Amino acid sequence: MPKVSLIIPTHDRPQLLPRAVDSARAAGTDVEIIVIDDASTDETAAVCRNLDNIKYVRAERNQGVAGARNIGIFQSTARYIAFLDDDDLRLPGSLDVQVAALEANPDAGFVCGAMIMADQNYQPTGEVVHPRRGGDVFWELLELEFPVMPLCTLIRKECFLRVGLLNRHLNGIDDWDIFTRIAELYPVLVIETPVGIYRQPTPFSGQGSSARAVQLRGAARHQLKLLRLPRATSASSSQRRGARQRMLNRIAENLLWKAAHYLPEGKFGPAYANVSVALRLNPLSAVRPGAYKKLVKNLIMKTRVFKA
Amino acid sequence: MPKASIVITTRNRPQLLPRAIDSALASGSDVEVVVVDDASSDETAEICQSFGGLNYVRVERNQGVAGARNLGLIASSGEYIGFLDDDDVRLAGSLDRQIAVLEQNSQAALIYGQAIAEDPSGKQHEPYPSDCPQGDIFWELLTGNFIPCGSAVFRRACLSRVGLLDDAIPGIDDWDLWVRIAEIYPIMAIETPVMRWRQSTPRSGQGSSPTVDLIGLSRKWFREHWLELPRLQSASRAKQRAAWRSFSRNVSEHLVWEACNALGKGKLGHARKSALNLLRLHPAGLLGVLQRWTSTATLVTLLASAVRRDDPANAKAHFKRIRSSRTGR
Repeated sequence: MPKVSLIIPTHDRPQLLPRAVDSARAAGTDVEIIVIDDASTDETAAVCRNLDNIKYVRAERNQGVAGARNIGIFQSTARYIAFLDDDDLRLPGSLDVQVAALEANPDAGFVCGAMIMADQNYQPTGEVVHPRRGGDVFWELLELEFPVMPLCTLIRKECFLRVGLLNRHLNGIDDWDIFTRIAELYPVLVIETPVGIYRQPTPFSGQGSSARAVQLRGAARHQLKLLRLPRATSASSSQRRGARQRMLNRIAENLLWKAAHYLPEGKFGPAYANVSVALRLNPLSAVRPGAYKKLVKNLIMKTRVFKA
Repeated sequence: MPKASIVITTRNRPQLLPRAIDSALASGSDVEVVVVDDASSDETAEICQSFGGLNYVRVERNQGVAGARNLGLIASSGEYIGFLDDDDVRLAGSLDRQIAVLEQNSQAALIYGQAIAEDPSGKQHEPYPSDCPQGDIFWELLTGNFIPCGSAVFRRACLSRVGLLDDAIPGIDDWDLWVRIAEIYPIMAIETPVMRWRQSTPRSGQGSSPTVDLIGLSRKWFREHWLELPRLQSASRAKQRAAWRSFSRNVSEHLVWEACNALGKGKLGHARKSALNLLRLHPAGLLGVLQRWTSTATLVTLLASAVRRDDPANAKAHFKRIRSSRTGR
């Protein structure tokens, strides 16, 4: 029985998939690679036939990323689960490091490593996202203060049996949800070494950006629902209020920051959508000086990139 | 690795559970029983420990039936899988019989059987469904769910192709799965009882208004999801309309039934709720039902059941027979 099941959901991206699978092969010594072909309509199946040593699973009906990941968990035979998107990469040996970490800490629910940001051509942008600290990070996750992505984690399979599977109806934020639910019951382990390369989507491509505002509103609504988890309800009401406020501030900041990007480019529609959602979520966010922290920080970073 | 797995989901019903587990163990020769304890707060865990060789899964956060069943699927290892509710009973040897048929038909993905409803007094009713359609039953399944959940046995492999259960639709999650399986696979059936169904106290008031809610939910699901299924999408417009019509007719018949039954029992509030729902959900369906229900045979059945205060299940089965003979199935 393999130690790790690495689950790669894919949909109509046969040109990117082989690279992800190759990186997965080099990532660990005892890995079962499960490719979930989420109802692709192109030559993905043929491409997968040419890849050796993978478990190819074809979903006839489109399940979405979370649904495909659930099918992967259903198919897995290993004790540890890792997820990889078809356009991201795993670093060589990274899974072995994470398995060793989890085996040394039998209490931990998942282990989270650092993540190298890259552009569309897999070229590192120089930014590396480190997880902050380990241990009990339930509140940080709830307040969106803990940067974690499926790409950089290795999860104990038994966690799913105790907290449930990924929520198929949370488009794009199913990972926030599951990590928060796991962290409610388990301590989280952190390692400083980078374990994956995240291929960032084209920044502000414009299409789908008002949709993103709507999605963030849905995300905020769902995140508020997480305040009903037993761990949160048993906390003091001031802590809950604080968590709620910080969570909303964060989402509103993010939206305002995006809006500030759209305006100079003349994209008034998406900018308006972002601002209106931000104000609806948190009417006071516009007058909070903290709201513009991120904007300023980002402007500084942008000038740095220009110089380089 | 066991040949078959039976997934029993349970929550706070330790008094019923042992019977279900025993029956599941006796239903097949090479069976693994997976008990998913959906965050029970009582002695369910101890009861499961007292059984040797169970695959016991303890869920810490309540998942609902569909979510718990999904976790049972993940914990299971059998090639064939069946669900069982904690208050139902599988008949001895029934699983082996079904698997034998399924193994002879390598194309088919699922086999179901009949269920015997049993009321709290121990009285048993005739097996449901009275006729078991086989083969390509996609269109029939869209009309109504006639597959008793505990009677179905399906191949593990087919789940990856159609997806797991949807936990957003408690109560009709199994129906949704059957529909998705039947969309691409032929279905088998054996016309013998394979399980006993414990009926909740007949029409106790609770348990009946959920029926009305479930109907609303299934109607919404039909419009938003089943109509999007590729098989329906590629069908002709006429076929799509026919599927929707027969679904809504079935639904309205259920609601009319609920309303009449409640009237017969003097439960005016519930009758009104059903009737209002019928009007709201499907006003045109009412006309269709009236058209079909004005036949004397139907009226006689209804009257008889109301006057004799007959058991709903019994009269319902009787009514089903009339209906299926009329539609010529």
